[in-house]
Amino acid sequence: MTSIIKFQALSGCFDESPHCYLLEIDDFTILLDCGWDELFSVNLVDSLKQNINKIDAVLISYPDLLHLGALPYAVGKLGLNCPIYGTVPVHKMGQMFMYDWYLSRYDSEEFAIFDLDDVDKVFDRMTVLKYNQTIALKGKGYGITITPVPAGHMIGGTIWKIVKDGEEDIVYAVDYNHKKERHLGCCELEKVTRPSLLITDAYNMLYQQPRRSARDESLVVSILATLRSQGNVLLAVDTAGRVLEISNLLDNIWHNKEAGLFAYNIVLMSKVAHNVNEFAKSSIEWMSDRMVKSVDDARNNPFQFRSVKLCHSFEDLKKIPSPKVVLASMPDLECGFARDLFVMWCGQPNNSVIFTQRTSPGTLARYLVDNLGRVLSLQLDVRSRAPLAGKELDEYLQTKKQKASETMEYEESSEDEDEISGPVGHDIMVMEEPRRQGKKPHFPVFPFHEEKVKVDEYGEVVKHEDFLIVDGVEEAEKDISDAQEEPEEDMEIEEIPTKCMSQSKILKLNCNILYIDFEGRSDGPSIERLVFQVKPRRLIIVRGSQEACEKLSAGCQAENIWMPQKGDHINATIERHIYQLLLKDSILKDLMFKKCRESEVAWVTGQVVYDTGSTDIEKSDVAEAKKNQPHLDLVDYNLIPSHKTAFLNDIKLSDFKQILGKNGIPSEFIGGTLRCCGGNISLQRLETGKVSIEGTLSEDYFKVRDLLYEQYAII
Amino acid sequence: GFYFRRLNSNGPNMSRRKEAIPAEESDQLTIKPLGAGQEVGRSCILLEFKGKKILLDMGIHPGLTGMDALPYIDTIEASEIDLLLISHFHLDHSGALPWFFAKTSFKGRCFMTHATKAVYRWLLSDYIKVSNISTEQNLYTEADLEASMLKIETLDFHEEKDVGGIRFRAYHAGHVLGAAMFMIEIAGVKILYTGDFSRQEDRHLCAAEIPAVRPDVLITESTYGTQIHEKREDRESRFTGMVHDIVTKGGRCLIPVFALGRAQELLLILDEYWGQHSELHDIPIYYASSLAKKCMSVYQTYVNAMNSRIQKQIAISNPFVFKHVSNLKGIDHFDDVGPCVIMASPGMMQSGLSRELFESWCTDPKNGVIIAGYCVEGTLAKHIQSEPDEIATMSGQRLPLKMRVANISFSAHTDYQQTSEFIRALQPRHVILVHGEANEMSRLKAALIREYETMPEVEITVYNPRNTTSVELTFRGEKAAKVMGSLAVHKPVEGEVLSGVLVKRNFNYHLLAPSDLATYTDIQVSQITQKLAVHYSGSVSTLHFLLLQLAGHVEKMDEVKSSFRVFDVIDLTVDKNMITVEWKGSPVNDMFADAVLVTILRAETLNEPSVKIDDYGAKFEWDKFKDSLVEMLRDMFGEAAVPKSVTKDDFYVTVDDKKAIIDFYNLKVTCEEDLTLQKILQTAVSRLYNSLAPISAIQM
Repeated sequence: MTSIIKFQALSGCFDESPHCYLLEIDDFTILLDCGWDELFSVNLVDSLKQNINKIDAVLISYPDLLHLGALPYAVGKLGLNCPIYGTVPVHKMGQMFMYDWYLSRYDSEEFAIFDLDDVDKVFDRMTVLKYNQTIALKGKGYGITITPVPAGHMIGGTIWKIVKDGEEDIVYAVDYNHKKERHLGCCELEKVTRPSLLITDAYNMLYQQPRRSARDESLVVSILATLRSQGNVLLAVDTAGRVLEISNLLDNIWHNKEAGLFAYNIVLMSKVAHNVNEFAKSSIEWMSDRMVKSVDDARNNPFQFRSVKLCHSFEDLKKIPSPKVVLASMPDLECGFARDLFVMWCGQPNNSVIFTQRTSPGTLARYLVDNLGRVLSLQLDVRSRAPLAGKELDEYLQTKKQKASETMEYEESSEDEDEISGPVGHDIMVMEEPRRQGKKPHFPVFPFHEEKVKVDEYGEVVKHEDFLIVDGVEEAEKDISDAQEEPEEDMEIEEIPTKCMSQSKILKLNCNILYIDFEGRSDGPSIERLVFQVKPRRLIIVRGSQEACEKLSAGCQAENIWMPQKGDHINATIERHIYQLLLKDSILKDLMFKKCRESEVAWVTGQVVYDTGSTDIEKSDVAEAKKNQPHLDLVDYNLIPSHKTAFLNDIKLSDFKQILGKNGIPSEFIGGTLRCCGGNISLQRLETGKVSIEGTLSEDYFKVRDLLYEQYAII
Repeated sequence: GFYFRRLNSNGPNMSRRKEAIPAEESDQLTIKPLGAGQEVGRSCILLEFKGKKILLDMGIHPGLTGMDALPYIDTIEASEIDLLLISHFHLDHSGALPWFFAKTSFKGRCFMTHATKAVYRWLLSDYIKVSNISTEQNLYTEADLEASMLKIETLDFHEEKDVGGIRFRAYHAGHVLGAAMFMIEIAGVKILYTGDFSRQEDRHLCAAEIPAVRPDVLITESTYGTQIHEKREDRESRFTGMVHDIVTKGGRCLIPVFALGRAQELLLILDEYWGQHSELHDIPIYYASSLAKKCMSVYQTYVNAMNSRIQKQIAISNPFVFKHVSNLKGIDHFDDVGPCVIMASPGMMQSGLSRELFESWCTDPKNGVIIAGYCVEGTLAKHIQSEPDEIATMSGQRLPLKMRVANISFSAHTDYQQTSEFIRALQPRHVILVHGEANEMSRLKAALIREYETMPEVEITVYNPRNTTSVELTFRGEKAAKVMGSLAVHKPVEGEVLSGVLVKRNFNYHLLAPSDLATYTDIQVSQITQKLAVHYSGSVSTLHFLLLQLAGHVEKMDEVKSSFRVFDVIDLTVDKNMITVEWKGSPVNDMFADAVLVTILRAETLNEPSVKIDDYGAKFEWDKFKDSLVEMLRDMFGEAAVPKSVTKDDFYVTVDDKKAIIDFYNLKVTCEEDLTLQKILQTAVSRLYNSLAPISAIQM
């Protein structure tokens, strides 16, 4: 009955590398998250490659790069070919994260690590789940069930509960947030009790968060100061995760007349801003009670922004007058609009750049956050993509023509492929399309124009989309380069080739640079408290500095604690003795159950019997199968061994104080002991499960003792 | 330890037993409709199993008013209900909920889907306003409704919830936005309640799912009984055709609808049809419902509950923003000048705008009314389907009915074909029909029975209970315990005696050794140490003497400090004028402690004992025991049973010519002829010994 449980960290051990772990239950291998850092470190991919063939299922916790970044590569290039599980928002927002990442990278460099088709393959493959929806795995994974439990942090964020044979429960909980936020509820890790194995991270173990109100205030104050001095604010945010919290907060602050921000502009800018916003609007049931209430009571969708405008290109952005606040991706400043804006704005002293999360070490954003105030100038590669022109274009066309004539068939088939795979993946671009081609100047402000689509007849829309998609992507890309390099050139031909340019520049950093924590993760003291509450029997600590891991391990009283090094194979098998016994009615009838916490308990003594005598009403074949099962039947009275009385439950003296109070006995704490009845009786909790009661012989003593006994199930 | 054990029925008091089994151990599942039993409206079904009580839906009857419209709640104790599940927002399923929260002692939990809750809020608010005008007695107020919002909890489709061992999850039911079927599992028995459902996908909703798990009991609606719906394409074209015909001939077309649900579907159809027929663009479509307008944001938010087609479309443009439909605030804003299409509520024309319009249009044969939904017996909408010559107005006047009347059912209820397929896929052993008019229901029952007549291998029983009539089903609940930890180290052997703590939680049993409790459960084994200080001014030797008399043996722990241990568990320390008594709490130890305390109090009142016997202790006198035993056995079996000449070494009893030998010193009884007798004797002997022997002599 004992299941062999093994664990191996492919990344994320004793450092800040992304989450990616292998969990083996007997011969079934589960990949827990498949993250990648912003710089595509080769290490991770190598270890993933070695294990790719034995992975039977992937569980994803959050939609960001840190948790699913390597999936497109794994599925598209390494041929990962197994079911992937995630919640509905992780599926939707994860796709947005990947699109944005790809498009932002593609804008500035020759990017071939994965493409949009790979992204689509990942999300086509994903099985979506709701919170608390338990599904049983099939085939080799027979007997294993998985359940996503709310984790906070990001929309759809998941703590995974993996149960084998209904008894062996493994909980994988990383980056959770125990605090309620504006748009998200808190994690439900507290509801998990006594798992046989907990896998968690120590990333924030040494960190203590500022209070939420102080944090929000510092954000507003710095934004206001910058705007009043006619400066622009760049908030480097992620694509579809934490950005929801920040944008919702700012939209509300903007709306608040007293804040005095109404006159300024606020923009949410990413390649997929519109879609992220739409998905947020229709995912209210995944958010906090407050958001749901807003829809139910006020019929007011909190993501129907009142002030925040959406932008998808620099052309859009230009039309919005400064000073303005721009929430742009990517948070690492390695690519995307945020990097371009940073390059544009970092020179002016009245501008501000605000980071809202710590990205991987080695990224530009992290470098700036770690050296706040110390970096005065930077040497940076300013990269962009520009269309080919002149000689280069001619050359390109010529080679293309040559190729075309050489391999006609190949061309055709590749074109077909485009047609098939295009529409599925790129439907986000459809939205951008009408806006870009629109003739009215105000279009770019809003993500899409309704009438535009409606002009088309039904039936035809599908074809239209197909057609639009291709140039949608192309144009989106061109657009950015336009804004930077050659704004006057008008792109018409979808076929126009582009090239990437890179130029090293020295940037003077005159702007304000701030870091305000909007990560929405539990901090050190809370992690410690939560892990203590959960009381795992075994604990695996991943991701975090050596010091952080050790601190967490010191505060936990698990039977075994592991802190794996990369590649370590941990055997976390728990010897498990278990068998099933059918309880005969005769024995159950006599039991007197006593309530103890959520359960009822009774002392039972019985005799194991194999032959049931089959008096069952059940159909004969069922009864047949049952015959070989052991039953517990009544035992001869004299054979019943005596047993020690057990007091079940564990009380807190503070709770008992209230009970005393309810019964008219006042009491007070003096130096850890609870005294009552004029100091004649004192109670003390010595250690877990041990309570002492002391007093002088009096009626009160027995009264207090009776009350104390009532707190236990005595069997 | 001590013999603190439970009596089992094999003991001498075998006769007790067979009293009423407590509800939570009962194998009987009771299903009782409190509403919607052989009727349509006021859905409310009570489930009772293993001591758990669940209500399914809390509706009102649309054809009745005031208290009459409520389900038969007075036949149950509302405070005992653990759980209330609401399948969808229609009034006949959720209409009595604020009343139930505000006016009864209900304190259980209540769940519905997000979309249902959002619409419920506005739908009932509208209902309160309407009934304010039409009737004097109101079941509840707006404040009650708002209070109910705080108590309703939400669940997402497929999410699994557990309320005190009742596990349930919601499946898509089609029908209306947010409509759910509930799969409820109690102690392994699964019950599927369909609410109102439709297996046909339409423009915005998906078809009802077929759950992957097979329910034991299916509680299904039977609104349409054995009828079979028209094909979707046919009814749509008949509908648009008729509307087209009426308006192009200059008539006015009235479509009485329920404000939410099918109305949205009809609007999607009309808006699309108008889009395709430019000649109709001058003819206005009005939708006279501020309620529907209010709920549009709900439709836009909870798209996850709709079908995939809408979900895709909504990302591009919102299909619920209609191009050809305009909203009509009320009849005052309506300029009745020419042909038009009006959708107005209520759907059965009991009162309100649809009734007003009907009364003013019914005399003109150019006009038409299309009944698109299900109509309850006794409403005007049902009445006109029988094509009467005259109708009665609200004011009691009689008007000739000349306008065209058509009945095109868009009702998203299951029909016979769907129900039959659904049952075939699920194969429940029991089918309980609710939410159907008596005749339809019995026709459906007959049809289903006929269908399975030819298949004797399929065991299926169909019930159609009336209101407050229960269906009682028996499920032999399997009670299996998982034995874990140190008790389970080796496989169980025949005849092995197992003893441990049985932990019951949510109908699951675990058998554990006390030491394993903390490992596998959240239950902690505790220990209570007790220390009592007693004033004592007497001498130590008096105390010692009395303790010896009490316990037979006193262990001296410390010569200098004069501390003793008695009964192996009670420690006494004499210190000046004080004795401290210390022990670990347990019922037996407490009893010993009480005895010791009494002894101390007595010692205080006594003088120094005249005799000083250190080793005096209570000794067991076998002779005395023999005499007592003989006396007891003679009492039990008569004078003749025990021979006069018995000795301790040769002790036997003869009962009904059967001889039982009693091994005196080992307290063992053997009687090969009659095991029952042996058992009775054995018990008697050991009990007598236990009551006579000093505590120190009994094995602890």
